[in-house]
Amino acid sequence: MLLKDVRDYQILFLSLFLVLGVATRDWTLRLDFILVAIATCCTMQWLLSSLWPRFGFYQFIKKENFPEKLPPIQPSFRSALITALGLSLLLRCEHFSTIILAGTLAILSKFIFQFERKHFFNPANFGIISVLLLTKDAWVSPGQWGDDWWYALIFLGTGGMVLKRVGRWDTTAAFLGSYAVLEAIRNLWLGWTWDVFFHRLMSGSLLLFALFMITDPRSIPNSRSGRLIWAISIATLSFILRNQFFISTAVFWALFALSPLTLILDKIWLAPRFYWSAVNRLKPAIYPQIDS
Amino acid sequence: MKIIRQFVAILIAVLAFICFAPTAWGFCGFYVAKADTKLYNKASEVIIAREGDRTILTMANDYQGNVKDFAIVVPVPVVLQQEQVRVGDPKIIQRLDAFSAPRLVEYFDPDPCADGDFSAGFGTRGGAPIPRSAARNRNAESALGVTIESRFTVGEYDILILSARESNGLETWLKTNGYRIPQGGSQLLQPYIRQNMKFFVAKVNLSEFEKSGYKFLRPLQMAYESPRFMLPIRLGMLNATSEQDLIAYILSPKGQTEITNYRTVKIPSNTQIPLFVKNEFGEFYKAMFQTAYTREGKNAAFIEYAWDMGGCDPCSAEPLNPEELRQSGVFWLTPGSGTNVFITRLHLRYTRDKFPEDLTFQETSNRQFFQGRYILRHPFRGEIKCEAGQGYQRLLAERFEREAQTLAQLTGWNIQQIRQKMPVTALESPKIPFWRNIWP
Repeated sequence: MLLKDVRDYQILFLSLFLVLGVATRDWTLRLDFILVAIATCCTMQWLLSSLWPRFGFYQFIKKENFPEKLPPIQPSFRSALITALGLSLLLRCEHFSTIILAGTLAILSKFIFQFERKHFFNPANFGIISVLLLTKDAWVSPGQWGDDWWYALIFLGTGGMVLKRVGRWDTTAAFLGSYAVLEAIRNLWLGWTWDVFFHRLMSGSLLLFALFMITDPRSIPNSRSGRLIWAISIATLSFILRNQFFISTAVFWALFALSPLTLILDKIWLAPRFYWSAVNRLKPAIYPQIDS
Repeated sequence: MKIIRQFVAILIAVLAFICFAPTAWGFCGFYVAKADTKLYNKASEVIIAREGDRTILTMANDYQGNVKDFAIVVPVPVVLQQEQVRVGDPKIIQRLDAFSAPRLVEYFDPDPCADGDFSAGFGTRGGAPIPRSAARNRNAESALGVTIESRFTVGEYDILILSARESNGLETWLKTNGYRIPQGGSQLLQPYIRQNMKFFVAKVNLSEFEKSGYKFLRPLQMAYESPRFMLPIRLGMLNATSEQDLIAYILSPKGQTEITNYRTVKIPSNTQIPLFVKNEFGEFYKAMFQTAYTREGKNAAFIEYAWDMGGCDPCSAEPLNPEELRQSGVFWLTPGSGTNVFITRLHLRYTRDKFPEDLTFQETSNRQFFQGRYILRHPFRGEIKCEAGQGYQRLLAERFEREAQTLAQLTGWNIQQIRQKMPVTALESPKIPFWRNIWP
């Protein structure tokens, strides 16, 4: 059973990054915070999966003709765990209440912000942005991975394994490609040497975001054209926020702001929706990223 | 000029000036000495007091050459007017340094024969802070497109704020006005010009300097508002081949400040080390810093201290009083509001190849305290007359060995030499495997 689901790889890799970060990057991560994040996300997932349908929110969906019959909502602990690990990797705070709030809102966003049963916010990203906005206790450390090439290799290798199975490499490529082009133009215009450019692109946090966060197949556009446009928009907005407004956590804000674009892009370019169950049952190729 | 200030978003920032480094290079600007005077350098020091987009930056001036040759060029985010530039008191940087310096603490073992657990020490007291030096022993305008945005004298400095349209023009202007620009300077000025930054050019007004009666140049302080929270270190590294040290004291009402484009790591701390280090703490700290710097890949910033300025434990110097905080640029305190100031002391050792980009910072809500703290634990010196004492002495031997190993690991010093400096315990020395004699 283990490693049958692509999300298992995801869980494995994210855990590996946590261990690497704590062991080699001098993070002051607290184990109890990680446990609280996992407990919160899993509990919320279970609670909402069992309660939500009772409110009747899905009545109308059942009448529609979907290509395959919608299975009843199963609490997806894998996804919840991925959200929790994503939060643990990225979010820093001083108090438990902040982690609990982030985990709760992250999972809740999957149930509230959905359209035709597809959620369009990346849950971990939603959790992070919510607590950045709502509390005074949270922060994200963009410099936490440094820019060493071998971390880049680890992220690219593990990310590549997952992306190959999920079939979302196009999103990462479009994001990194367009972001790199924008940074290269800026570098050229300013007249910096190229090591400045490489230093900016080798940031472990940027790579992790590109490989493990914006590629969540459940919340991003279904069609390839949609995904390309979506990823390029996020790259452009990140670039502007970072260089014009000096926001160090630009990528998270850009993803948050542009997530609803998924709905429009899905309307324009129709494509089959991604289901974990479908991937596991049939064997097509599609899988996840920091959050599903 | 006010219009310019309104475009805060466009104003890029940077700031900084001063900085004096090994030859003629400083961390955020470069010296443009008017003669080939040999410049001496130590670590650059800077205080950044920041709340929101408002910043007061204090740059220490440790220039030791002939003051008439002193001149610097520093990129700044906005045009500064006379009232935004001040001359600070050099003592304030010494105060912050002493308050936040890595420290030694001492504990004394109790009598092992008395009741109680002798594994815990008692009686802590602050050791001497690292001596200041030891810690850082490391220790034709329009045609050229150059505009003088403002010109004024503050204290002993004559200051010009320049804006430029292109770097060759600026270089030519500086050269024709008697400033010596390093080779390759023009190329490095371009990114700052393109980012719409201004140039803060300071030299010493000799008559004012003599009137002031000071022996040394005092720190320059500037106040400005800009969303950009960064320090330009690139200019200062132009052609520099050696490592440069920068100590930044960052004061915030919120919490710790960290670097966003490089790693920020904590200096090794809270380790128990042999007693003889007390007499060579400066040497110890230098060696330890160098070892940590190398281990982290030479591209990380080290936190040496992070604490609320309201207190300290143990204190290596008295906390700064409100007047001293004001002098160091803290502008958000109101009488009776207490001292809501959190200090982060960052120590960077940088070179051109490992730090290609200017430093950018962010403040965080992290209010966890951290200090570089090293522990000396004195063994019980009195007469031991009980059985438990035997056990104590055996433990002592093990403890000394452990301390020696820790010290060797932290500093890269030779373990044999460390062992030789350590006291011999009353009992046999601990079982040290025979091969350690040749393979430490």
